[in-house]
Amino acid sequence: MEYYFGILQNIGFHTLLGLSAYLLLLTGQLSMAQVGFFAIGAYASGILTVIYGINIFLALGVGALIASFFAFLVGFPALRIKGLMLVIATIAFSEIVRLYFFNLRWLVEKNGVEVGPDGAQGFREIRYFAANGWEPYHIVSFIWIVVILVLFALWWLDRVKAGSVLRAVGEDELAAQSSGINLTVVKVSAMTGGGFIAGIAGGLYAHSTTYVDHNSFTILLATFAVAYPILGGLKNVFGTLFAVIFIQGILIEGLRFLGDYRNLLFGLLIILVMNFYPKGLINIPLFNWSKLVKRRDI
Amino acid sequence: MSVGFIDILQSLIDGILFGSIYALIGLGFTLIFGAMEKLNMAYAASSIGGAYVGLGLATLFSLPLFLVFLIGPVAAGLISILVYLVSFRLIPSTNHLGSLMASIGALFFIDEVIIHETQGSPLTFPELGIFAEAYFMFGDLGFRGDLIFIMIFGLISMGVIIYLLYYTRLGLATRAVSQQNVAARLCGIPIHTINISTFVLAGILGGFAGCMAAASVGVISPLLTIPITIKGLIAAVIGGLGSIRGAIIAGLMIGGVENFFLLVRGVNERDIYVFLLLFVFLVLRPNGLFGNEINRD
Repeated sequence: MEYYFGILQNIGFHTLLGLSAYLLLLTGQLSMAQVGFFAIGAYASGILTVIYGINIFLALGVGALIASFFAFLVGFPALRIKGLMLVIATIAFSEIVRLYFFNLRWLVEKNGVEVGPDGAQGFREIRYFAANGWEPYHIVSFIWIVVILVLFALWWLDRVKAGSVLRAVGEDELAAQSSGINLTVVKVSAMTGGGFIAGIAGGLYAHSTTYVDHNSFTILLATFAVAYPILGGLKNVFGTLFAVIFIQGILIEGLRFLGDYRNLLFGLLIILVMNFYPKGLINIPLFNWSKLVKRRDI
Repeated sequence: MSVGFIDILQSLIDGILFGSIYALIGLGFTLIFGAMEKLNMAYAASSIGGAYVGLGLATLFSLPLFLVFLIGPVAAGLISILVYLVSFRLIPSTNHLGSLMASIGALFFIDEVIIHETQGSPLTFPELGIFAEAYFMFGDLGFRGDLIFIMIFGLISMGVIIYLLYYTRLGLATRAVSQQNVAARLCGIPIHTINISTFVLAGILGGFAGCMAAASVGVISPLLTIPITIKGLIAAVIGGLGSIRGAIIAGLMIGGVENFFLLVRGVNERDIYVFLLLFVFLVLRPNGLFGNEINRD
């Protein structure tokens, strides 16, 4: 059972990461910085619960706010650059964050044990859940409640004016600008929102694995984060969820019997999907509800 | 730790010489960007892949080791053709994200094939023959022979590429394709052939750079791919995407900065400063050193 809980948790973090990249992709920004925000959220909320002994909910919130503050800061220089240059700039940002945590040593003595981030050794003993008597299923349900809330929020966003504004910027910046949309506000708020989601995901990740180090936040994870919404398609949020379940659930966990060859499949899968479905897997609606309803009056 | 002036100068020289590898990789990125306005993220991976194929074939048939430096670039050129076919040929040219993602997919695929074939362990790579032993002293400063060779090679290849682009019919066609895709096709230019030839040229350069990087370090490992990709991209961006001399100068500069901070701040923090340099350029001069002012996407 523990094993399935582990998979579910993993799908949860990856969905949140994918959704944070999805929000940015709606505005046409391909950002590899999500893993940087994820790392900031993980370390910040870990430090808050371990060193300052703060409640988990507050720590997650503050960690996400710190991550979104950095996202806000990244958003401004990112306005001047777009497309491929943004990809390179955000890769560099993620690597700076990773290297910063690689060098960060902040050890504090608690009950005779030194706790806190220890440079290359990583940040061990983030044991809030165990110390407060959370059962594994509590943790899984907590993660999935957050995932569902974020999924719902983004789904709802597509149904209000703000979502149309985001998509308008993504479709054609010039046209959006000439119809009176303030590009700065839209792009920076998308970046900030994406940073917030990634920050929550990072906090949850740090607390449920109890250990993070700089190796958890590589460019590979950043690629995964942007690959989910691109593979799933930007039609709606469920494309991202579908892609995460497909890759993390089926490709990585379901095909364990393939051993080493499994790792080859990720690259191959991206290549195949991009060649055959350049707009993502779920680009056409799966069920056309309006058709079912309208059929009566023919 | 006190760092003397001569130490700083020496580390700058070593860094600038080693930067010629970044310069060559950045040159390849910029060449492909100039031709297609697209980034081929799998470029450094195919360079390292070429070096692996060269090493593998040479040990398999027990060929003389200098042949590695011939087989490697050719293999990298062939891998580049494959990358073009799977990540650029079929994806619509307006879909920038699509081919970018597909080439990232190719990057991971090549990397994983290498890890799978070598069980992830680094292999020793032959040194550059007489160049590896050469070491020139100039006053108190030393110059590594193999790195000087790479730098001279980089400068020569820059000259060759500029010649090819601006003084031959192939170069004329390449520039036509990069300026106006549709109009070039209407003039009867076979754009896919032109693109493939750009990829092959870049691939050969990259394969040589990959072999050189492995030879100057002494080992080859799949762990080289991501750092070389990132540094090469930074060289291409700082130089101005599409600018050939920009990529060379920026690559040398990155090497120098990297080695300087290696001396001053240590190996763990070295790369932070290289990335900060990129940010300084992106904020103050987004078009790079020599990039032109056209509005790119």
